[in-house]
Amino acid sequence: MNRRRLALIGLGVLLVLGLALPYLGASSFIVSLTSTILIAAILASSVNFLAGEGGMVSLGHAGIAAASSYGVGWASRQGLDTGLQVLIALGVTLAVSFIYGLLSMRTSGIYFLMVTLAVGMLIYGLAFRLSSVTGGENGISGVIRPAWMGQYWTYYYVVLACFVLVTAALWLIGRSPFGASLKGLRDSESRMRSLGYSVPSYRLGAFMISGFVAGLAGLLSVWLTAFVSPSSAGVDRSVHLIIIVILGGIGTLLGPLIGATVVVLVENVLSSYVERWPTVLGLIFILVILFARAGIAGSAGKLLRRLRGNGGARTPGGRGSSASEAVSERNHNA
Amino acid sequence: MTPTKKSSRRIAAAGIGIAAVFALAACAPPGAEPAPEETEAGATGTLKVGFISPTTGNFAVAGQEMVDGWNLYWETNGTEVNGVTIETIVEDDAGNPETSLTKARKLVEQDQVDVIVGPLIANTALAVAEYAASVGIPNLHPVAASDDLTQRNANDLTVRTGSMGGSQANFPGGQWAATDGGYDTAVTLCADYAFGWESCAGFKQGFESEGGEVIQQIWFPNSTTDFSTYVSQIQAAGADLVYVATAGGAPGPNFLNAYLGLGLDQDQLLLNCCAADQGTLRTMGDQIEGLKSISYWAEGRDSEVVTEFVDAYKEFSDGKVPGAYVAGGYVTASLVASVLEENGLVTGEDLVSAITEYTFEDSIFGRVSFDDYNNTIGPVYIREVQKLDDGNLYNVPIATIEDVDQWLGKDPEDALAQPTYSQSFQG
Repeated sequence: MNRRRLALIGLGVLLVLGLALPYLGASSFIVSLTSTILIAAILASSVNFLAGEGGMVSLGHAGIAAASSYGVGWASRQGLDTGLQVLIALGVTLAVSFIYGLLSMRTSGIYFLMVTLAVGMLIYGLAFRLSSVTGGENGISGVIRPAWMGQYWTYYYVVLACFVLVTAALWLIGRSPFGASLKGLRDSESRMRSLGYSVPSYRLGAFMISGFVAGLAGLLSVWLTAFVSPSSAGVDRSVHLIIIVILGGIGTLLGPLIGATVVVLVENVLSSYVERWPTVLGLIFILVILFARAGIAGSAGKLLRRLRGNGGARTPGGRGSSASEAVSERNHNA
Repeated sequence: MTPTKKSSRRIAAAGIGIAAVFALAACAPPGAEPAPEETEAGATGTLKVGFISPTTGNFAVAGQEMVDGWNLYWETNGTEVNGVTIETIVEDDAGNPETSLTKARKLVEQDQVDVIVGPLIANTALAVAEYAASVGIPNLHPVAASDDLTQRNANDLTVRTGSMGGSQANFPGGQWAATDGGYDTAVTLCADYAFGWESCAGFKQGFESEGGEVIQQIWFPNSTTDFSTYVSQIQAAGADLVYVATAGGAPGPNFLNAYLGLGLDQDQLLLNCCAADQGTLRTMGDQIEGLKSISYWAEGRDSEVVTEFVDAYKEFSDGKVPGAYVAGGYVTASLVASVLEENGLVTGEDLVSAITEYTFEDSIFGRVSFDDYNNTIGPVYIREVQKLDDGNLYNVPIATIEDVDQWLGKDPEDALAQPTYSQSFQG
């Protein structure tokens, strides 16, 4: 009970900090950078949801986000209004997620990884080749977000609201009966099947939810940068997402935010001062894998509990870090 | 865990969500005040330059060369011109458009630069150009070759200062091949993405406008390392001339190894800028003496400014001869210096119009001016690899076509009405 209150207070403080950021003298650059972090965190949340709740590690989520971005980009190039742009992005996202889900719902582990990778590559290829729609390698530029969120700080609040809502929604879904079934699938597919669960449809459902969140991230990202190009669908982007999720801690609530903060800051801020920043990112990743397999959020939680004297008491329900640890162990073995 | 605990937790979570929404709705409006307005840099005597280039990642070599060229000019000539001090902040974008945009935003909003130079890769260049124009900051491009940068995406603040569009440079090369070159038929092998499509389109239109015939067009993915299958296709096509366009890096030498390894005739080859850049020359060595190529840059041109630049770079880089990326950075710097020399400190649109109205009589590229879309009009060289007195291989011009613009002999409006070049549309 005490611990939960502490967590709630922590979340509250974080939220207040987030809300107050533009008033704390942060420059427009810092606020935009925070938007970038939050968008990366939303996208990572979608991967985190699949990996943490369902044990499905996707290497194709950048493709879903990019499909949504391209939907908006294409629609804005046709001169359609905002409502239609969003509808088209939504339609494209759901269609693409459905294809991903349909192709991957009967697979798991490394096969799931390969199927999502393949579909992701397909989207990359289309973005690259179908230049009459996607603008080819040059991409689509000049995608302007609606005027009411035109200011950097209004847009920041929109992104922050989306992040809070997505995080809360995914948390609730994870605790719902549907989430429990997904966890069951993750831990023992054969047992769930023998209990009468339709494994593929649960997988498909989980993928659609995750895909929807990824699509939202794609929409937010194209409105932030006003630009989309094939590189946003690339495999390296999907790998980046996995790195963010593992850094933060698979299956943890704030893992995606923490991971995204580290990666985005290294990529965009540290790189101004350190020439070999990719090496730094690699080192951080290796250190986390070696010494904090549950990720930054997961390991910090474990450490806190140990400090408070009940380190050995792992709940049999397997909630939180012990569950995420199991997943990361599983993935490690795979 | 009892069900009650679970449900209370759920209620708490829902509470957070709802509270967040209310908090946001209440908080958003009063934020109107902070938006810090950009303070326009007055005539402070310093021109702050933000330089974005991929100095890590897949394009690190080219990116570093572009920065080196820029720095080399200021190191040799001093950072003060006509009372104006040049201050450069270099940022790495790793060739990634999102990072490029964040860096551009950082340079403009945090460092308050007066002008952005770079980046290098086509899609990063287009993204940054769009952003820079939206905040009223001039953007100079030393290397980016995407046609659209100064065509469909052209704006008043974007200038291509140190290179030419992909199709622009190769068009006169095609014309030369069909006339003075004396070739009747050609087969093309180009990289299968925007730059390759544009290069090939330029060559093909030039070659065919002078009565030549392109009998086959072959495309290779950028990641190709083994070119032997493409070389057999070329052999089977049996054309007089083989035109090859790569975006620089490994494909050039890899292709030449496959081509020459099969014993095919080097005199039938005509390469684009980047397939025969200094990297290729250094890798292949003396065996490619006599190899012909088309480019806006010729390091072996007999001119005082070129010699001065080449000597300075050789000293800077332990004897290496500069390629097109170094030259792009260098020529951009010398252009900025010349404009400042003439006008004193100018920023914003004044800087752009000062540049585009300027005719650079004696640049390392030759006589360069700018068109209405802020693109370079300048000479294109047909070059031949020769070993000069210092023992290095140079691309030496054997023919020069002056005042080449980006419209391939068309009316600008007609050219802009076309679809963008692709495998299926070559003009």
